[in-house]
Amino acid sequence: MNFLTLAAKNLLRRRGRTLLTVLGVAIAITVLFSLLSLNSGYQKELNKEVNSLGVHILAVPKGCPYEAASLVIHGGVIPKYLTATDLDNVRSIEGIELAVPMLMHQFIRKDNKTGQDVPHIVFGIKIDEERELKPWWTVEGRYFTDNETRVMLVGRGLADKENLTVGSKIPSGPFKDFAIVGILNRTGDQDDQFHFVPLTEAQRVFNKEGKITTIAVKVRDVSQISRISAEMERIPDIQVVTMTQIMGTIMNLAGSARSLLLTVIAIALIISAFGIINTLLMSVNERTREFGVMKAIGASGLDIGKMVLAETVFITFSGGVIGTIAAVVGSRVIEGFVRGMLPYSPRGTMVSLSPELIGFALVFSIALGIVCGIYPAFKSSRLTPMEAIRSGVE
Amino acid sequence: MSGIIVAENLCKVYRRGREEISALKNVDFHVDEGEFVSIIGPSGSGKTALLNVLGCLDTPTSGTLRLNGTETRGMKESELVRLRRQNIGFVFQQFYLMPTLTARENIELPLLFSRKTDNKKRIDEVLQMVGLSDRGDHLPEQLSGGEMQRVAIGRALINDPKIILADEPTGNLDSGTSGKIYELFRKLNDQGRTLVVVTHNLELARQAHKMYTLRDGRIAGCEEMDY
Repeated sequence: MNFLTLAAKNLLRRRGRTLLTVLGVAIAITVLFSLLSLNSGYQKELNKEVNSLGVHILAVPKGCPYEAASLVIHGGVIPKYLTATDLDNVRSIEGIELAVPMLMHQFIRKDNKTGQDVPHIVFGIKIDEERELKPWWTVEGRYFTDNETRVMLVGRGLADKENLTVGSKIPSGPFKDFAIVGILNRTGDQDDQFHFVPLTEAQRVFNKEGKITTIAVKVRDVSQISRISAEMERIPDIQVVTMTQIMGTIMNLAGSARSLLLTVIAIALIISAFGIINTLLMSVNERTREFGVMKAIGASGLDIGKMVLAETVFITFSGGVIGTIAAVVGSRVIEGFVRGMLPYSPRGTMVSLSPELIGFALVFSIALGIVCGIYPAFKSSRLTPMEAIRSGVE
Repeated sequence: MSGIIVAENLCKVYRRGREEISALKNVDFHVDEGEFVSIIGPSGSGKTALLNVLGCLDTPTSGTLRLNGTETRGMKESELVRLRRQNIGFVFQQFYLMPTLTARENIELPLLFSRKTDNKKRIDEVLQMVGLSDRGDHLPEQLSGGEMQRVAIGRALINDPKIILADEPTGNLDSGTSGKIYELFRKLNDQGRTLVVVTHNLELARQAHKMYTLRDGRIAGCEEMDY
């Protein structure tokens, strides 16, 4: 027998109470672990995603609201336009590897199933340049070429929703009778819900000949981004947004949601800590006489304090282990919940389960036990044996 | 004066609010090594208070106490713990066994506090000494009152103390079982241990070498017995 087995046996004496305290700690640790893993996963995935876009700078029409720039990667509609001259001016800047024009437009089309008018987003793109920007694109069927007319690519999500297949034709709306030559395989991002047509076709359908809404710029050397964006700013019609700024905007929005969650966690942990302290103090009070007897048979104050502390750490460590396992097992559920709360979610998995994080959660649970156990341990160790035996409640 | 327990002019005053209660008044108490001593007296006469002071569970308000040659006055709590561990075994009326520990583990408990390891042989020895060799794995709730008190006596014996202090050890037992516990005490005494036993039971008290009578916190008499 050692102090740990003694502590464990003491805890088993009041199984219900111990179990509830352990569960309280477990829930707090689950929330803490989930949020920390989501936090690091979110930043990692967002970085990865923005980097994989291959776009360093976006040029949008001047006067466009700043936050709207982030709409570009969401498929928002910008009601102003740039011209081919702007594109040429951008391309003439030294250090630009790729400047890809896009015309993004909203249109209304009747839903195949419900017959209701549904808003859709279409991108007019230069296919080769777009594929250079998005090398992960793969297609069922084929890509169109820039010179083709009345052809279209659709995202997998949209195709599934509206029963569109390769070879079928769009039944209504401004793109009526456009042939679907390819369906983009699922990318996990907004592209799954979009229509893509050759840029000239989009300009023709919407009567926006020569007009574009966005120029996506990839630079040769990322250290030149600030110089190039400063030069682009000098073009009269253009407002420049770097991906760093877009990420900043997203991170700010996500930051507010995270702060809220952190507050919830802090409150959960504080409640849990007080719960543990309360349970221990109750248990210490109930066992005053027992501690007196232990002192009579040779225990020192330190021994009693150590035993109470061991019991606390036992509770919080068990809670830590259960909480961590629950967080790992339930990470998908929690991720789904958090995705719903965040303004923008990267397409990869947001949960990052590193051994360091598991270690941190377990060490944190032990630290929680030590913090919560110190006062009850001190209180019990200070009892004089006679006082304890005489005043004990049983 | 020689002796394993030597108390002189012991006074113990308890304060309850403004009220002062004198539990012990100038008590002189002497026990030689290997002696079996009973303390009797009516309720409130100071028997338990005296036993607690003798066992260093409580400190006297004034007076001196020497245990096994060591003067206890002015000792720190940690020194008293060590003195108790090395010299004294306690037996209580209510047994005070840990309900989640088996008989064997209850007996082992003081060894845990003394940091003694590899104790299996010693525990088996003590279980045999108290006649519970076949009951070691039982929890207290599975034992009879007499068996529980035997476990408590085993717990007091495990550190091989020179002195056993027992506070009404048969107070919760029937007369047959009480007799057997006293038999065990006499056996321990025969092995050379010093015993001081507080009891209400005059018949059992007479089985000791010496019987002290306490009344109103004072020694009212000391009778030598035919042991």
